[in-house]
Amino acid sequence: MINPFVYFLLFLKASLFSTGGFSNLPSLHQDLLANGWAKEGYFGQSIAIGQISPGPNGLWVICLGYLSYGYLGAALALLAITLPALLVLAVSAGYNRIEQQAWVQGLMRGVSLAVCGILLTVVWSILHQPNTDWKGWLIAAGAAGLGITGKVHLLIILALAAGVGLLLYW
Amino acid sequence: MEHHHPTPDIWRLFRIWAGIGLQSFGGGASTTFLIRRAFTDKGGWITAEEMQQLWNLCVFTPGINLVALCILIGKRLGGATGVVLSLIGFLVPSATITCLLTAGFTIVEGIPAIQAMLRGVVPATGGVMLLVGLGFARPLAITTYKEGRVKLLLSAAVVAGCFVAIVVFKIAVVFVVLGAALLGILFFTPRRLAIPLEETKGEDHD
Repeated sequence: MINPFVYFLLFLKASLFSTGGFSNLPSLHQDLLANGWAKEGYFGQSIAIGQISPGPNGLWVICLGYLSYGYLGAALALLAITLPALLVLAVSAGYNRIEQQAWVQGLMRGVSLAVCGILLTVVWSILHQPNTDWKGWLIAAGAAGLGITGKVHLLIILALAAGVGLLLYW
Repeated sequence: MEHHHPTPDIWRLFRIWAGIGLQSFGGGASTTFLIRRAFTDKGGWITAEEMQQLWNLCVFTPGINLVALCILIGKRLGGATGVVLSLIGFLVPSATITCLLTAGFTIVEGIPAIQAMLRGVVPATGGVMLLVGLGFARPLAITTYKEGRVKLLLSAAVVAGCFVAIVVFKIAVVFVVLGAALLGILFFTPRRLAIPLEETKGEDHD
């Protein structure tokens, strides 16, 4: 039922209008759910697996591709996050010219603010997963609290969370 | 004047990027650290200042900044072939492992203990993501704070507006980003042309 070409274009669009590895999530969330090509639960699972596996954070999209469309989906997702980054070569060529323009600084500020808002929506969609209850919100607060100290490694935080999950829900 | 070591041959470049891709767990900061160590501290092919300049370009580029940095370093050290081999080295091994992990997950997904663990891990990633957002917001807030209370309120309004537009009104993210960019031009374009911090602009890239 999935049209591979449209599927690829949705991933490419999400990546083209994002900066950083996660800000493509809301766009994919909107489009894939609207087409019925992904389940709500895929997004939380993908981010979780993406955190555990090696490589840049943005590779969570590979998990989403696999969960929604198998190995082909994963390959299309990889292509879709690689292509927009090639624009850096164009940026590199024109940077000295545009960086001087005052409006470019304003524009970049606006985009950075949008990224902050978008990351908040990512938090929102993760905590709005079908089976996340108030205990889940406590786990999220605990993870943020441990993370903000900067002394506990991310993998340890996630392992602790898995242990808490076992205790609470098994 | 600092002399660069000769550039690495491109297969070495490939192996270095594969190593970085496979060793970076838990996000941007650890990957950036590995990249600096490999190309600046150990290899000496790219100076710390050059690395900063390359990174500034990546911030302007859509998508994953680290992938853009990989492309720039690949080009600098190995031309077009360098770009391709660096990208393949950085992304293909780590993406393959990510994919296999996901495939493994779908096999054990139904086990109750795994589901219980997942119900702990997923919200925890939400908490971690909140920190990622705060990491983005912090330097912005510091800069804006110096520009006065009005700008700070405007910034908070733009952030909140983006959130509401996406979550409540389900507006396509593309339009939200474009809208925020327009508001940025309106509100945050400096009146006087402020020359950016770097004094070291004499050298051309490339």
